[in-house]
Formats: sequence, C-alpha cells, structure tokens
Amino acid sequence: MLHIKCPHCGLRSQNEFSYGGDATIKRPELNKEISDKDWDNFVYLRKSPRGKHLELWQHISGCRQWIKVERDTLTHEILKTLKANEEI
Amino acid sequence: MQKYSILNLVKEAFNKHEGWEVAWKDPNPKKEYDVIIIGGGGHGLATAYYLAKEHKITNVAIIEKGWIGGGNVGRNTTIIRSNYMHDENGLFYEKSMKLWRSMSQDLNFNVMFSPRGIINLAHSDAQMNSYSRRGNSMRLNGIDALLLNREELKKIVPMLDFSENVRFPIFGGLMQPSGGTARHDAVAWGYARQADSMGVDIIQHCEVTGFDIVNGKIKGVKTSKGEIKSKKVGLCVAGNTSVLAEMLNMTLPIETHLLQACVSEPIKPILNHVVTFGAGHFYCSQSDKGEMVMGGDLDGYNSYAQRGNLPTLQHVLTEGIAMFPFLSKLKMLRTWGGIMDMSMDGSPIIDKTHIEGLYLNCGWCYGGFKATPASGWTFAHTIAQDRPHELNTGYSLNRFSTGRLIDEKGLGTKTWIS
Amino acid sequence: MPQNFRLDKGGLINRNKKISFKFNGKIYFGYEGDTLASALIANGIHLVGRSFKYHRPRGFFGAGVDDPYAMVQLIRDSESIPNVRATEQELFEGLEAKSVNCWPNVNFDIGAINNFLNKFFPAGFYYKTFMWPRSFWYKVYEPIIRKAAGFGVVSTNHDQERYEHKYEYCDLLVTGSGPSGLASAYAAAKNGAKVILAEDKPRFGGSLLTSEVSIGNQSGQEWTENIITELKSMLNVTIKNRSQVFGYYDHNMLVMSERISDHLAKTNKYIPKQRLWYIRAKEVLISSGSIERPLIFGNNDTPGVMLSSAAKEYLKLYGVLVGKKPIVFTNNDSGYETAIEFKKNGIHPIVLDSRKNPNSEIINEAKNQNIDVKFSYVVVAAKGYKKVKSADIAKISEDKKKLGKIENIICDCICVSGFWTPTIHLASQSGNKTKFNENIDAFVPGQSKQNETVLGSAKGIFTLEETLRTSFEKGNELSKKITNKENIIPIPSVVEKKHSIHDKFWCVPLPDSKNYKRFLDFQNDVTVSDVELALREGYRSIEHVKRYTTLGMATDQGKTSNLNGLQLVSDVENKLVPQVGHTTFRPPYTSVSIGSIVGREIGKNSKPTRRSPMHSWHEKNNAVFVDAGIWLRPRYYKQGNEDLFEASKREAKNVRQNVGVCDVTTLGKIDIKGPDSAEFLNRVYTNAWLKLPIGKARYGVMLREDGIVMDDGTTTRISENHYHMTTTTAQAANVLSHLEYYLQLVWPELNVNVVSTTEQWAGAAIAGPKSRQVLQKLFPGLDVSKEGLPFMGYLEGNLFGVNAKIYRISFSGELAYEVNVESDNGNYMWEKIMEIGKEFNIQPYGTEALSTLRIEMGHVAGSELDGRTIPYDNSLEGLVSKKKDFIGKRSLSKISYVASDRQKVVGVVPLDKKTSIPEGSYIVKDPKVNLPIPKLGHISASCWSVEYDNPFSLAIIKDGKNMIGKKLFALSPLKNKIIPVEIVSSHYVDPKGERVRS
Repeated sequence: MLHIKCPHCGLRSQNEFSYGGDATIKRPELNKEISDKDWDNFVYLRKSPRGKHLELWQHISGCRQWIKVERDTLTHEILKTLKANEEI
Repeated sequence: MQKYSILNLVKEAFNKHEGWEVAWKDPNPKKEYDVIIIGGGGHGLATAYYLAKEHKITNVAIIEKGWIGGGNVGRNTTIIRSNYMHDENGLFYEKSMKLWRSMSQDLNFNVMFSPRGIINLAHSDAQMNSYSRRGNSMRLNGIDALLLNREELKKIVPMLDFSENVRFPIFGGLMQPSGGTARHDAVAWGYARQADSMGVDIIQHCEVTGFDIVNGKIKGVKTSKGEIKSKKVGLCVAGNTSVLAEMLNMTLPIETHLLQACVSEPIKPILNHVVTFGAGHFYCSQSDKGEMVMGGDLDGYNSYAQRGNLPTLQHVLTEGIAMFPFLSKLKMLRTWGGIMDMSMDGSPIIDKTHIEGLYLNCGWCYGGFKATPASGWTFAHTIAQDRPHELNTGYSLNRFSTGRLIDEKGLGTKTWIS
Repeated sequence: MPQNFRLDKGGLINRNKKISFKFNGKIYFGYEGDTLASALIANGIHLVGRSFKYHRPRGFFGAGVDDPYAMVQLIRDSESIPNVRATEQELFEGLEAKSVNCWPNVNFDIGAINNFLNKFFPAGFYYKTFMWPRSFWYKVYEPIIRKAAGFGVVSTNHDQERYEHKYEYCDLLVTGSGPSGLASAYAAAKNGAKVILAEDKPRFGGSLLTSEVSIGNQSGQEWTENIITELKSMLNVTIKNRSQVFGYYDHNMLVMSERISDHLAKTNKYIPKQRLWYIRAKEVLISSGSIERPLIFGNNDTPGVMLSSAAKEYLKLYGVLVGKKPIVFTNNDSGYETAIEFKKNGIHPIVLDSRKNPNSEIINEAKNQNIDVKFSYVVVAAKGYKKVKSADIAKISEDKKKLGKIENIICDCICVSGFWTPTIHLASQSGNKTKFNENIDAFVPGQSKQNETVLGSAKGIFTLEETLRTSFEKGNELSKKITNKENIIPIPSVVEKKHSIHDKFWCVPLPDSKNYKRFLDFQNDVTVSDVELALREGYRSIEHVKRYTTLGMATDQGKTSNLNGLQLVSDVENKLVPQVGHTTFRPPYTSVSIGSIVGREIGKNSKPTRRSPMHSWHEKNNAVFVDAGIWLRPRYYKQGNEDLFEASKREAKNVRQNVGVCDVTTLGKIDIKGPDSAEFLNRVYTNAWLKLPIGKARYGVMLREDGIVMDDGTTTRISENHYHMTTTTAQAANVLSHLEYYLQLVWPELNVNVVSTTEQWAGAAIAGPKSRQVLQKLFPGLDVSKEGLPFMGYLEGNLFGVNAKIYRISFSGELAYEVNVESDNGNYMWEKIMEIGKEFNIQPYGTEALSTLRIEMGHVAGSELDGRTIPYDNSLEGLVSKKKDFIGKRSLSKISYVASDRQKVVGVVPLDKKTSIPEGSYIVKDPKVNLPIPKLGHISASCWSVEYDNPFSLAIIKDGKNMIGKKLFALSPLKNKIIPVEIVSSHYVDPKGERVRS
C-alpha cells in the first residue's frame, strides 16, 4: 500500500485516496475553437511514461482535495506531492 | 521438424531423452528481414506463425528484449472465452475460439485447451438483464451462451455460497460452455517452435532502442544487437506499448496498469469451471496442478512495476470468499503481477499507423491471452496485406476520433476503474 | 508405542506433558513442544507422503518452513485442513493427521506406478502427447491428470474460524529472532525506538538454539532467554513468535501473519485463529537467516535423507534422533556440528566430506572424538525405497568428475550439508537488486532499495562474532536516527569455532551405467536430467527452465532447490551463476491462509450495507429489498400471496390512480454554494442554468468529456448562491468527485463549494393525482396549489414540527412531490405521510413500480444511460444547449455521433399485446437469416404498462427516429423467444407531459 503525503493532511495510506490519472493533461479552455484532433488528444491520448509520472490523486476519505503526485511508475517511489494549484 | 507424439515419447524414453531437438533456435539477427515483429509474447509469436503459415512470409524476425513468453502470456490466469456483447468483440473472439479448439494439433504442442465452461454470476435481476443482453448478442453472433438460474447453478457449482449469510445473493449466471482455460506457457512455446521450424528467427535478449524512419516510411529498427532492416515492422508489446510509442513520437490512447493474480496451494479437484463473481471483480479456476488460480482488480494506478500491493489482493480475495467460502481455508501460495495496456474504451487496437510499414497491435487490457490466436491471425493479415481483415476493422486507431468506440463496460477513459 | 528415537534427556520439549496424537489412524505419543514432524520421527516414522508426479515416498527433509516434503492433511476441531507442513505444525492433544497424495495408503500407493514408468514422464512430457484425438484432452486425459495432481483435500463447508487484521506503525521492524535479530532489536530498543520483533517459529533464538557457542559466558540459549525477557519487559517493544513477515511491499509496508491458535487443539471463542499485521516501518532489519542447501546424489529423495541442520535441530530442540546409523555428507564444516551432536548422544556417525584435505578446529574436534571422517568421499546413491537402508559411497577425484570404487555401507539416515543460502526474499521483494557472492556461492542483498538493512547470515555473514557486532551497530545506528537517543551497549564477547572454507562441489556425478534420479525439487519431482533436458530443448532462460520443469514452483517455492537449479544451469550452459540470474522473489515468503488475508469482511459483512432511515418501517411492512449498489431499497411491499409482478403492478397502478410514496433517500445529494454556482452548473450540465430563478428546480444532464452521458438529476436553486443537486444513487460518489475535480483543478477561479448531503436528508416521493391533497394536509399552512407550488417549484415547510423541503419534481410522470427532512426525522415523516395519505388510498411503492412508471413515461434511467450513450440516443437533445460550452460538448460532433442513422430510444410493444419482451432482447428486421444476425438495437427496459394493461419496453435502436411505426422482431435466443413487435414512441403514457404539470 502506497504511503502518500497529502500536502494538506500529511502522510496517509493509499486507501484514503482515489486515483485520478495523468495530471499533465490540460483541459482546453471553454468557448475556444479547438481542432478535432486536439480535442481527441485531450480526451484519449496518454503518455503513460515508464518512470516519472505526474498524476492526480484525490484525498477522498480525508480532506477531499485533489493533489498532484510525482511518482515513478517503475518503482512506485513518490518523489513529490503538490497541491492542486502548484506546478512541478 | 521432429514430431511430438506418444510414439516418439516412448522411443525417446529408451534413449534417455537424448534425441529431442531444440524447440527453437537461438540465432543472431540477420541484416534484413521482410517483417520484424517486436515482442516475443503470445501475440508476437502467433503473428509470426500466421505470417509464415497463412501468408508464406517466412523471412521474419521476432525481437524480444527478455525471454519469449515472459510477459503477459506467462502471467495471466489462462482464461479463454468469447462472451462479449459488442459484435466487433464477439466475432473476433469467436474466431479466436475456433483457433483455440485446434491449436494443439495445429502446433503439434499440447496447449491443454480445456473447454470446461465459464460462468459469470449475477446478483440481481438488473444484472441478469444485462447478462441477457450480452448472452443474446453472443447467440445472435453464433456463440454459445446459456442463462442459468439459481437452481441450475446450484447443481453445476454447488460450493458457491447459496447460504443466507451472504451480502449479495446469487440470482443466476451467464455461461459460455465452450469457454475454458489453456496452459499459458505452452501457447508461447508452441507458436515459437512452429514459427522457428518455418524459418522465423526468434531473437531473445535483444532490446529495441530506436527506429529508422525515412520520409514517413519505416526502414528498420535499432537494437541492442545492432541495426536490423525491414520495410515492415509490427509492434506486439502490450504493457510496454507506450514506451516504444515514445521512441516513435507517438502518443496512444493507452495507459499502463498493473494487474495481480495469485494461486493457492494445490488441492485435489474441486472446481470444474471458470467462475467470475458478479458483485465485484474476482475470477477463479482450478489448474490441472490443483492450484486455485485467482485474479481480479487492477492495482489502480499507472505502473510498470510487475509487482503489486497486498490490499488489492485482499480486496480481490474478499470477493473470492464471498463467492466460494471454502477458499478461506486454503493458503495463498504465489502472487505475481503483469502490466497491461489499458485502452481508453477497453478494447484492443490492431491497425496500421501513420508511418508506412509500421503496424500496431496493442491495448489488450486484461483480455489479451484468449485473443492470442486471433490477434496473431488478424495482425499477420494486416501486415501481409497492408490492410486490416474485416475481423479487426473495428479495432482501428481512428475509432477514437470517429466515436465508434467498443466499450464493453461503459466506463470510458478512466482505465483504472474496472 | 514407545518413542524409540527419543533420547532420554535433552531438548526444549516439556517431558512432563505427554501428548497423544493420531497419524494415518494409529495412535502415537509425543511431548508438548514437539512438532508433528519431531514427534513422528521420535516414533520412527519417516514416511509421510508421496511426491507430486512419481508418487515416490516422501519423508522429512527440513525442520521448518523450508521442508519440501512433509505435507499432511490435518484434522483440527472437526475441520479437515489440507497441505499442513508437519515440520511447522506444533503437536496438540488429539491431533490427527493423514498422508496425502496416496491411495489406498501411504505405504502402498497405486500412484507409484508412475515411478516405474518415470522414464516416459520427463519434464514437459505432457506438452508432447495427449493430443489425439482432439477431444480427448479435455474429456479423458485432463480429468485423470487432475485427479492425480493436487495434495490435500478441502471440504466446501464454510470456515468457522475468525481472522483479524491489525495495522501498526513502528520505528524498526526486525524479521527473525536469531542472533542478528536479537542484537539489533535489543540495541534499538535500548535507544527508545518502537520495535517489533517477529519470529516465525514458536521459540525465539534461531540458530542460537542449536549452535555450540557462548556469548559473554552464557550459552546461546541462555543469552537468548535473557535478551527476550528484557525485551518483553520494555514498553516500546512488541515481540511476536509464530509470526512470519511474508511480504515487503511498497513504501516500507510489510505484512506479517501471526498464527495465534494453529498450535492449539481448538480456537478460543474470543480469539482469532490468525491475525494479519500490516506494518508500516521506518526501518526494516532483515534478520531472516539462511537455509542449508542440499547435496545432490542418486535417490536423494529417499525418506531418511535430510538436511544436516535439520537433524541437529531435531536432536537439540526435541531430543530426537533422525537415525541411529547416520551418514553425514557435507561439503563444509557445518556437517561436523551435526556429527558431533550425534556422537555426544552415543551415536556413531560417519562423515563423508567431499573436500580433499580440509583442516579446521571443528574437524579436529570430530576426529578427536573418534568420529569416522572420510575426505574426498561422497554419497553416490541412497538405497532403500521407503526409508534409507544403506548408501553407496565412493571416493571422488579432485576434479569431482570421477568416482572411485563404489562401497555400500549400512545406514538409516543421510544428513546432507551443501553450505548455506541466505534468505534474501524480503530484501529482494523490497526491490533490492541482489548480487552473487562467490565466496558463499549464493546471492546476497545488494544496495538497499527501500529502508531495508540485511543482517547476519541473511547477508552472508556466517560468524557469530561479526553477526552480533554488526547487528548491534546497525540496531543502534538506525534507531538513533529516529529517537535521537543513544544508549551504547557493550558488545559481548563470543566464543565460536572457526570454519574452513566450503567446497563448491554440490552434485555427485552418476556412476557408470547407473541412471539414478537425482532430485533438485523434491516436491515437484524435478531431477537433474529434467533440467538438462529442458536446456537441451532450448528452454535456456532460468524462467523457461522453471516453467518447463516446474522447478521451485511447489509449495516450498524452491527454498532448498532454486540455487542448486541455478548451479546446474550455469554448469551445463557454461555460464556464471549471476549471468543465469535467479527468478523473481515474490510475496508471500511462505503460504498464507486466504482467510487471514481477508479478515473480518466475510459473509454479510463482505461489503458495507447502507440503509435509509425508514428501513425498519419498510421491514415491518413486508418490503422485499433489492440491492442498489450497497444500498438496500424496497423493491415491493408484499401483500398476501402476491409475487413481484402482481405487487409492482398494484403499486404502480395506485400511483397512476391515487397516490403512492417511495423512499428516495438513496439519491445522491450535493449542496452547492458560492457566488459562481450558476456559472459552474452551466458548465457542468448540458442545458442552460444562468437564469434559473430562486425557488425553482431544473432537470439536467451531465456528460463526461467524451460526450457520453454521465448522470442526470434535478438541481434546485434554494437561495441566491445556494443550490441543491440530486444525482442517481449509483453515481453519487462519482459526481461529487467530478465536481470537485473541475472546481479544484480546472476552474479554480470559480468561487464555489460542494459537499455531499446524501446522508443528511431522508427523502420521500409522493406521486399520483391525489398527491397534492396529501401534501395539503401535510403542510396545512402552506400554499401548495398549482400556482403556489408549480411544476419544478420549491418550498420550505414545517411538517408537524420538523423542517421540510418540498420539491415539485416527478420521475413517475404523475403530479408528484419530493419531501426531504433531516435524516433523523425520516421515519417520522414517513409515518405522517402514511397516516395522512390513508384517506387517499396511499400505498408505498418500491423500485419495481418506480421502474414501471418511468418506463411507460419514456424517462431514461440507468439501463439507458449505460456509459455508452450520448444525449441524442436518449432523446435528450432538447436539453443540449447550442449556445454555451459545457463539459463534453466538443465530443458531440464526432462523425458517428451525428450520423443520420444514429441509435435512439424508442418504445416497443408486442403485436399480440400479451408477450412480455425480456430485457436484453435484440430488435432485428428478420429473425430467419443466417448467423450472425444483424441487430438494430436492444431492449433496455421492460414493464407491464399499468396504463394500457399490456407489455411495454424501451429499446435503443439504430435510426430509431425513422423506425417508429415499423413492425420488427424482438429476439431472445437465451429464452427461446421471437416476438413480433411494433416500434412506437418512447413516451407511451401522457406524451405531452400534462400530468406532471397538472
């Protein structure tokens, strides 16, 4: 079970969190022209790197905040955790 | 090629088994091939076999970074079925079933295909209805399916929990009598041996480090054993697809996730079917060795680790005991993990790419093993003819732009929710 | 029966407590403190079972978890337990055990015919045969093989035992209580660290219990006892015996299985049988020791051949002789310890040492004690079938390739020592890349990956002095880092015998013209020739060898066989062992009971159950419940002999004619507050939300970004900046996370807060033409007239003293209201509604009637919004704003989504107006064409229309818009039905929607 440091609550076990996938994907702005291709890329394409992965978790059984976690997908080592509004 | 048979086995018994030939050779790569298949797993080996057998293309290399059969073909729970709702899946997997039925004879290698029947349990009328939708679709596609009620199930699988003390009582189930299991390693080895005998070079411990692409056309691959030329290259590296895609500057509708499985210590035969739990994610069968083979949920976060954590197995086994209370008394002997390509609609991709001569076979989620023969068969066709076969037309890459998605579970792009 | 092989004294058993037990039907005696294995050996029993493939006789090879043979069926407290290792099972009064994998019995086993045919069954033989005729594998061969395989038998009755879980945090977890574990735990404990010390065996001390050493003038045993006593007295220390740390997982999470009652005749009622510990440790000290390696020779699987360390353990812990004419066959000094121990107890062993001319303190001692020591000698083959009767021995050449003249000597056991293999499993599981140490011919841990530190012989340190010194140091160093305290303990002086180097030799060559089986994996019957065959056939990777031969895949997971297998591969392939590499070490280190992994979440408690505040009323009123996710909802309220169909029809009809009340507490409820709430809703829902007046509700649909409908529900504007959202029961949690995602990550500039209020409110839907009359009486002071509370209106009221919120919304298509009160008042509200509604013939209705009502109105629900449909498919296009942007809008322009023949929800009526169409049927044009039959779409929901008294269904079919009026077929091959149908509008009842607005 992973041990994730919630930037709001501190170190907690993984079972308090739920996973939210790739955190590097930016939702296109509302009401802005966007090509089909760019939109589909946003909805469907994922880099899924082997190694460092910036991803979202929600502290669902805690503060309910979405947080960003930099984790190594090969070793599961967590390198950094950030608040939703922080950039790596 | 030396034939495997009871006669030869007896003959060799009196020869201290000294006369058995190598199942496949260990060649060094040639400078150039007609086709290079990257990935010596089940799908890659099957593709090479069908390229040789069906399309007479034998100047083929399989490049494998580790040892053949070391990925998901050797890490799955060996279940074979075609109980799909969507036509694209149903027809594709039924082709696979046909190939499974004659595989041992075709490959002259006993893959122990055991059509013992697979049963999906239902725990509500609503679930019975959704299984009806699936089962009826199967029947209309020519696939065998039966809807079983609680009483019928009691007779077939009496050790299910039919007691009062259950959280989700069993209402019935959907059964595909022709579904079953096979010996996973044997599939890889059987394909390898035949492909090798027809001239395919199986090159192990050879890692792809880059691609040679000129003017949008593939010219060859760079490997740890040097550059190898080919005008056609097929990718069959489920679990690592995104890593190779990155080398190709491609981003795919795929995430890599971890799935664990485990076996109990071997016991005398008790379970004669493959059974899946309907109120969660758990499936179970008993291997010929006597081990209960069990699996369930993803660990639920991107991972290439091939190692998982216990809470996921705890969760899976909780559902296991809810289904088969006697499992509580057994001991968990061995656990392992495999990494899978989870595609954004839960269905695979077998297609050409925007790079001429580069073909893609990926996105198998946790269903790749049963697809092995049909995947190889259609991928070989796609490579040889440079166009998909009608069985894999639906598995196109562009379905994500057209919206012709094949989402059996209706869960969308959150691939980690199973 | 007398215990002929029990010494008169010695051992750590309690000789004052004699215990009787049964093995294969016969009664024997042992002592408290025995294992089943030690007690059987004391009684001269060595034959315990039969091997997996050849059914060869199997005895005891080890004295603990490493034993590959000794599996029995145990009967304990009337439960028959398969695959119990006799070397681990402690003896209790009345214990009963049976041999497995043999028929009719272990002495005469029909299956042993396999042994005589073994030349036909080399590794992988089954891949080469059993293929003809095609159907025979499944029908004939496989059933025979399955029957022959497997070990114990499990009954299908439920497990009556209780298992518990415990979550623990500590500074240092020490895995193993041998010298390194004790020293490091003690040093850490003295520094004030929170320490957990885990020992797999019943007794603490590990190798200290059996080795002839002294630590600061105490024997190993005494020193252990003193340290343990002191540790037990310290509040910062938890020490656990019978506790195996079996897995090292991510982020220093380790899992330990504590066997609390397995050694007792019966589990105490209030105590679990086993407890699973999830331990998050800051530092992990792996002191798991090492396991002796076998030497390989002909018929080395014969009962009576065992590890020399095991023989010593039986002697020193249990006072049991494994034989009275022992041969000790060794390639290192360890074997001499066993020999000397025999000698001390009046037994005259012969030592065969494969080394040419070794010299060390212990060898000299053995010689001084007149032990017969032969150098450059090996055991060529064990003789005897069910028990060793003699041994063929021979001198071996210096290059270890040639054997001298074979001599036969009488013996009754052969104790083998092929040097030591560090137990590196936990370190390797942590991610530690192991490295090969040529000095000890084994893998040792490399660089730490997580916070693991490996100590003592697990690290390849085989002298007590170094083990103690480094372990004290590590324990001190690591704990000091955490506690900032240092309490240096003087390291005690050690007296031990110095050992000379071992011989790399491990496998005795076959003598000319002999084809003895030389076993590597004793349980799975994998021999040297099997591995050679695999390599010859091209299965050259160690993983291929393992899988092809099944080497190391038995229940002992290759603890004694893996390294010899590697050696063999390296010899044949002419590669160095590290180049061959080892297979992956995965948890669990030893098998763990599935019951203990699962714990208390079994039976009814396998998942939580959620109940509404009105649940007990429903129960009292004959509700039949249905699972809706983890909620329990009334499906119908049974009257008399009604079945589901009759009851739901009655309830639905009563709603259409009078008034009904339905518990809608389970719907998800989300409070939305903040000045930007309207803007937020406008982005979340597909329709427009900016102009919703205060006190008004609106129906909304929300999409995923891929354009698929995610959920639907109504949201009400309670005040300027306060909205109340409802979601479906199933999607409640997902919708909340979805909203939080957009607020926190995508549009943090929006000033909005959301919180779930599902548990705060109890809800009742009052529906039917007479619902307004009921409402009027419920809220006498409130204007609930058509004008006062119009369709989609909202009011707050006082329901006989409790605050209530009244929403005029309808799922049934009738005039309807939903009343919410605080959960605690739910039952009160419900009873009031029933009491007041009585004069209007109010009846409660369940989910089945609810379904009927919504289906015949053409309202879509979960079976249509199935994660695959877009708004258009569900006739919800009217709710999709063309003017504004919202989540998922951009996806709706996909080619297939705008195709003219896109699927759409329609109504379906059987032509005979009688035959119900099973849900999950398919609509086709022509049922008679060949398979596969093209499908137009499927039946998503079916009901018996109470309005028209005939069956009615909803379907989602291709080009649905243009299909209305067409006559087609509904097919359900599963139910053998072909039903001619007509496609009609999905709005079957009140298509203009007049009733809801009445």
